[in-house]
Amino acid sequence: MAKKTKAKSAKRRPIDPVITEIVRNGIIAVTEEMKTNLMRTAYNMIIYEALDFTTGLFTPEGETVSIGIGLPMFIRGMAETVKAKIKHFGIKNIKPGDIYVTNDSYITGSHLNHFTFTLPIFHKGKLAGFSCCMAHWLDVGGVLGGMTTDIFSEGLQIPIVKYSDRGKINQDLLDIIRINVRLPPRAMGDLRAQVTAVKTGERRFLELLDRYGHAAVMASIEEIFDRAEAAARARTKTIPDGVYEAESSLDDDGIDIGKRIPIRVKVIVKGDEMTIDLTNVAKQVRGFYNSAITTGYACAQVAYKCITSPTDYPINDGAFRSLKVIIPPGRIVSATRPAPMRLWMCFPMTIVDTIFKALQPAIPNRTIAGHHADLVGPSFHGFNPKTSEFFIGTFGPLGGGWGAKKTEDGVSATVCLNDGDTHNGPNEQAEAKFPIVVERYELIPDSGGAGRHRGGLGIARTTRALTNIVVNTQSDRSKCPPWGLDGAGDATGNAVAFRLGGEWKTDFPNAKVLVAQLKPEDAFRISSGGGGGYGSALERPIDDVREDVRQGYVSAKAAVELYGVVVDAETFEVDRGATERLRASRR
Amino acid sequence: MASSSKPLAKTGGSRVRLAADIGGTFTDIAVFDDKSGRLTFGKALSTPQHLVDGITAGVEKAGSDYRSAGLFLHGSTIAINAILERTGAKTALITTEGFRDVYEIGRINRPDAYNLFFKKHVPLIERALRFEVRERVRADGEVLIPLDEQGLVALGERLDKLGIEAVAIMFINGYANSDHEERAKAILSKRYPGMFISASHELSREYREFERCSTVAANAYVGPKVRRYVGEIDRHIRGDGFTGSFLIVQSTGGLYESEQAQTQCVRMLESGPAAGVIGTQALCHTIGIDNAIAFDMGGTTAKAGVIYKGEALTTGAALIGGYDQALPVQIAMMDIFEVGTGGGSIARVEDGALRVGPQSAGAQPGPACYGLGGEEPTVTDANLVLGRLGADRFLGGEMQLDVGAAERALARVAKPLGMSVTEAADGILRIAATTMSYAVKGVTTERGLDAGDFVLVAYGGAGPLHAVAVAREIGIRNVIIPGAPGVFSAFGMLFSDLRYDYVRTALTSLEDAPFEQIEQVFRELEEEGRGAIAATSVKPHKITTKRALDMRYVGQEHAVTVDLPMSVFAKQDRKAIKRHFDEMHELRYGTSAPSERAEVVSLRTTVTGLMRKPPQEKIRKGGGAPPKAAFSGKRKVSFDGKFRDAPTYRRAELLAGNRIKGPALIEEHASTTVLMPGDAMTVDAYGNLVIKVAGAKR
Repeated sequence: MAKKTKAKSAKRRPIDPVITEIVRNGIIAVTEEMKTNLMRTAYNMIIYEALDFTTGLFTPEGETVSIGIGLPMFIRGMAETVKAKIKHFGIKNIKPGDIYVTNDSYITGSHLNHFTFTLPIFHKGKLAGFSCCMAHWLDVGGVLGGMTTDIFSEGLQIPIVKYSDRGKINQDLLDIIRINVRLPPRAMGDLRAQVTAVKTGERRFLELLDRYGHAAVMASIEEIFDRAEAAARARTKTIPDGVYEAESSLDDDGIDIGKRIPIRVKVIVKGDEMTIDLTNVAKQVRGFYNSAITTGYACAQVAYKCITSPTDYPINDGAFRSLKVIIPPGRIVSATRPAPMRLWMCFPMTIVDTIFKALQPAIPNRTIAGHHADLVGPSFHGFNPKTSEFFIGTFGPLGGGWGAKKTEDGVSATVCLNDGDTHNGPNEQAEAKFPIVVERYELIPDSGGAGRHRGGLGIARTTRALTNIVVNTQSDRSKCPPWGLDGAGDATGNAVAFRLGGEWKTDFPNAKVLVAQLKPEDAFRISSGGGGGYGSALERPIDDVREDVRQGYVSAKAAVELYGVVVDAETFEVDRGATERLRASRR
Repeated sequence: MASSSKPLAKTGGSRVRLAADIGGTFTDIAVFDDKSGRLTFGKALSTPQHLVDGITAGVEKAGSDYRSAGLFLHGSTIAINAILERTGAKTALITTEGFRDVYEIGRINRPDAYNLFFKKHVPLIERALRFEVRERVRADGEVLIPLDEQGLVALGERLDKLGIEAVAIMFINGYANSDHEERAKAILSKRYPGMFISASHELSREYREFERCSTVAANAYVGPKVRRYVGEIDRHIRGDGFTGSFLIVQSTGGLYESEQAQTQCVRMLESGPAAGVIGTQALCHTIGIDNAIAFDMGGTTAKAGVIYKGEALTTGAALIGGYDQALPVQIAMMDIFEVGTGGGSIARVEDGALRVGPQSAGAQPGPACYGLGGEEPTVTDANLVLGRLGADRFLGGEMQLDVGAAERALARVAKPLGMSVTEAADGILRIAATTMSYAVKGVTTERGLDAGDFVLVAYGGAGPLHAVAVAREIGIRNVIIPGAPGVFSAFGMLFSDLRYDYVRTALTSLEDAPFEQIEQVFRELEEEGRGAIAATSVKPHKITTKRALDMRYVGQEHAVTVDLPMSVFAKQDRKAIKRHFDEMHELRYGTSAPSERAEVVSLRTTVTGLMRKPPQEKIRKGGGAPPKAAFSGKRKVSFDGKFRDAPTYRRAELLAGNRIKGPALIEEHASTTVLMPGDAMTVDAYGNLVIKVAGAKR
């Protein structure tokens, strides 16, 4: 995976920094425009509002030139899919007018919903690169809700095939897809949107090649790779050499309820290179929380980018040349056929958080405490009484708390690490579409881990059914809540509760309640965890605690119990004497 | 409101129009005298402490006064600055029980996806001042829980005690049934007449609770300040003898009565930039162009708007502030795409790469060559070193530029890159041009339009300097530099119409669309618009209405706005509506699905009161060669890395029909037009500089 660094040759090609910068802006614009066009044309909320997709531009060898990021955890999936397609057909058989497609989970690393289209871009008869687009389809067949235990129950599998062969559309493929999915018009609409996106990438990249010339553009891309590598190496070098380890746990795989799943990561820093060893991450599980090896690599790359080049764009493979990843097959993030993967995105986030945890002693200023690490996006389905039509409803991801850092509080109510520029669905939109009423939608006070810097808060949404609906919640990290760092407190975990026949039931062993049958007036509440704190809560400035109580982020009770600050719940007056005594007694 | 003791004559019988555009640095004035047909301009420094002083100074410079004016048109950054600088009123939010945190939760996105130190939007109203009241309506408008009026009254007392100046009301599904919002507002307004109270449905009747909440919160937050400001200007100008109508420019470019601006304040957020697009539209009408891009480049940003088939393109929402921390405002606005590239944009070396912007030196300290203490190289410094700006010609020679300082600043980036100062300056301008070209492409490709087919109309202080370079990047062949490009937004205001925009979310499949009901909603909205126009102190010569539907294919999430002729509604012509929608979808996204069902999301209507437009004045005719008086010398100017002699001209002396070939520079008070080698410029009958760009791709 991590490419061995070529020793820099002494004579560098002449580089025009102006053209390089123009090309850099240009390739970012290419993938951004692919993203815009996909988003606007898409049929389903997961693509349009949740931005569960990724667009990208690749070299003729399949190296990532730029990713128009929707989904950070898909940082590797697309490049590996492009490479697999090149290998499958053979570079000689790749022709203008071709478009390739697959949703093979063991290639993309993720679930079958991720249809991935790739278009070879030819400039003056020569292969100049690939534009590629992955997007989440709402339904790809398979069992509806519930648990799956192999890939076959998760829906239609399309191996690497041609959607378009030298411009000729593969109608048979479309027929196969149509008959296998529950919402064929949506699937076809999303397919068209993806084709629009890869064609947009082609058109814009060709414009860039025409304007500045093939050689200059390609040389600039090489230079962008080299610079990204140099920047990543320089920043890796600022991390003290050493072997850093950490561990954490996941709740369970949804089948062996309560059986914790251990994660152990090892990070080795030496000079300007880093090795992330995921050998001791748990073996693949029976429930649908697995992902394939490209996602294992993605875990390491996402963590590495967050630490070494978080705001450098475009996202390209040069930035990962100084990263080595060790991961044997058969782990939860390197699962092998026919492991089920429908909820692939859940576990990897905790692995990334564990890498940050491992690095905390080395770079306390650059890491972050644990976050809610789950999409917290239950789905519900049923028949709409108004139209008698079948529907699958979601609100998109709920968002939750993020961890605190050494220098600042955690952010509340923000989408988890798997997702980036991902939006939730408005409550009003869901109410207009589905037979439900949202009763409450709120921040959860005291959900953020207590610390010198407090973790961000989670969110709770209570949804009432207006007709019979079936609800599936699939969240992890309920009993293994987001951790604090450097003596800070943990956050609260993700959680579910159901109100059936007027009675609330909250004592679930995890946050995975599958195929719950709700009648009209029944309700479900889904809560996201907060973020862990950072540093001792007893060192949080009294005025900050008082302000948190005044705003209702922290209760007066928690202020006393966790922060040792005695503050009146009504007047917000602090009893400074009592506070000093209390804090002193706890130190 | 008016301090004049005499009864108000509506337009005072006068035919002078004053337009005042207040920006961060300058206040621009345009004056048009209907009787003489004379158009004059004034530019004065803005006076942030007492903004009306800047207006008065500008009006004097333009050789006019308030007394002789019948119309006073105004655009201002007061509202947007109050938001960006967080200087608004102490504001409370009242919302549905259970939904207090909608405003803080927002859309949960994390655009800076790998940055662990990412930021989220900060609401204008802190959580401690966000209150809930018991009530609930459903998406179909049915009342689930009646409004708890007693609870509301108690809450009002609490707000009063807290010294709240402004209140925003946003109830869930208030877009579908606004009764509770109206009632809540009525109860509070009656008890607390001094409070600025705003309800979400008055501004937006579209679903998306966070966006509506953010919109009404912004409105309440800036309300008291805007109210004071508008009142102050009104008193001041009337005190100075103004007896006409005082109208304010909205973000759509349309005008509304200053009284309305004092309640619907967020509608004026982007009045200046919108007026520039209106000016471009007016110019297009005059010279017979259908498609143009309005390109406005100032000190810190470049903005692009679109005229398509003679109409300025608008959008239904905008984000205020940087994308990652933006506060949405869900109202009709001119569709303007902005990038952080302007004359003050700073160049720097980062990881061995040359970067330009978005950091800006602003007006203070400004570019290094201003000699005000700026040390970092900017786009303006690059223009000076390359000879495109004349050191002794800036602002009509009022301000001497320091070439040495510019060179020293540029050396900071040139040295580490191993380039000469000239090479670095040239590179900075090329990078700036490509970046700005993305702004232009952004606003067109999002609509499925090809920017290359448009005319680029460039204005703003820095627009004419960069226009032909930006055009080359996009493949645009024709560039127009209007007269007085530095005060173009004020000029555009003279061409604005009264305008009211309405939207109602009304989900229905097209097949089942209840046309009678739809017609009724449209009529109500249009009546409201006509009423608002009738209440305006100025009488338009004609009122028009335009309808549109936001539509999508069944199952699709995002809707597109489809402009529709009135006839399709009269005939209840579902097929024609579907056809229009398919065409629009095809245009914007390159795909359509004529065989698939479509649905309607929202109804939109725009009621416009057309104002008489000032005729555009023709200038004196001359021959092909510019008159001697226009020629102001020669200087060394660098193009494509080579310095060569380029003639300079005084724009004020040019006559209609004059032709100039590039390389050349055409200078006027607040800007310089650059012609690159091969470019050919002709002065048209109205004094516009019409440039054929050489070597553009097609």
